[in-house]
Amino acid sequence: MSSSEAKHPNLSVGEFYTRHSESLQMKLIGPTVGFDRRIREPTINRPGLALSGFFSYFADRRIQVLGSAELSYLKSLSEADARARCKALCSRQIPCLVVSRSAKPPTALTEEAEAAGIAVFRTPMVTMKFINAATLALEFDFAPTKSEYGSMMDIMGVGTLIRGSSGIGKSECVLGLIERGHSLVSDDMTRFRALEGRELVGTSPDLTRNHMEIRGLGVINVMSIFGIGSVRHEKRLDLIVTLKDWQELEDVDRIGLDQEFFELLDILIPHVTIPVRTGRDLARLVEVAALDQKLKSTGQNSAVEFNQRLLNLMQKKKEQ
Amino acid sequence: MGLLSRKPDTASQSKTAKELTIINRLGLHARPSAMFVKTASRFKCEVWVEKDGERVNGKSIMGLMMLAAGQGSKLLITCEGPDGDKALEEIEGIVLRKFDED
Repeated sequence: MSSSEAKHPNLSVGEFYTRHSESLQMKLIGPTVGFDRRIREPTINRPGLALSGFFSYFADRRIQVLGSAELSYLKSLSEADARARCKALCSRQIPCLVVSRSAKPPTALTEEAEAAGIAVFRTPMVTMKFINAATLALEFDFAPTKSEYGSMMDIMGVGTLIRGSSGIGKSECVLGLIERGHSLVSDDMTRFRALEGRELVGTSPDLTRNHMEIRGLGVINVMSIFGIGSVRHEKRLDLIVTLKDWQELEDVDRIGLDQEFFELLDILIPHVTIPVRTGRDLARLVEVAALDQKLKSTGQNSAVEFNQRLLNLMQKKKEQ
Repeated sequence: MGLLSRKPDTASQSKTAKELTIINRLGLHARPSAMFVKTASRFKCEVWVEKDGERVNGKSIMGLMMLAAGQGSKLLITCEGPDGDKALEEIEGIVLRKFDED
């Protein structure tokens, strides 16, 4: 099973601006400089202490936000002092500067930033709001990602990744599920992102979105054929189903008392192996596996409850 | 497990039977039943399990559990087929091993 390695990206200022300028209402002030600088930590810093000249523990890997406090502090300084402090700040390897509340930054700051090749942005957002929104956006961008072989479906709210070696019948299974009204997230290969280290969100590569390949038919546009309801952009992963040739399986789980897991990006996802044999309706089996998973997530485990009924019955018989 | 596809018994096939007592504390619940079926299914012979006049296929897990054979129950195991002796021996083994429980 080969798949690409987990990546922890770091982001350029330009990429960050392109992706989030709209949601963070950021506007570039002055010339387009410093777009290649890297944001090296997924969070925000307010450089108050740095502006006062104290640079120990300065978080220069983060986006620097200047709010009312920083700007009024700069205003309280003499022209020469303010310039010197701005110059000191801009001499650091900081990614970029953002001024909140649509405030007009002092000329000394914009000039020193331009000279050092650092982009300055402005946003009408309140400082706290901007920091929260930007931190969330950065966390998403910095979340580890991985591509995994397998097609992903949303089966009545249960995000299900269907794995299995080539030719085992994944595509037929996916097609069967789409015909039953479930939605395709990604065919053949799914990209996963680990959000806050506790859940995985799957999506398709841009190129293959809404499409799938079926042997004998070629590439088909699922959305055009089955309608908008048959596709979904992204979905949290709840279950992994591996389709395996009956003959390759030594030990088929007959009860389902023990929950298996599959590890992806350090997160454990419930895993079920379904033996494949001619004549089995795979789509139906995967659908039921997903529904049983949904039941389990509400705290009801069919196998455990059934066994308890059996144990109670035997106990009762013994007492008679 | 293809019970329907099997040919009817012929007199020439060997048949072997033995009464076994379930000795593990929880009896033949889900996990031991699964182990029983897994063991029985490794053999070609037919495996029948009888308790209190009720006879079920030893390769069917739901059938076995239906017997609700608690601790102390006596089961008559009948194996019909060429490898019946070996099957019975192995089944007796796991029953005596208390299905690796207790």
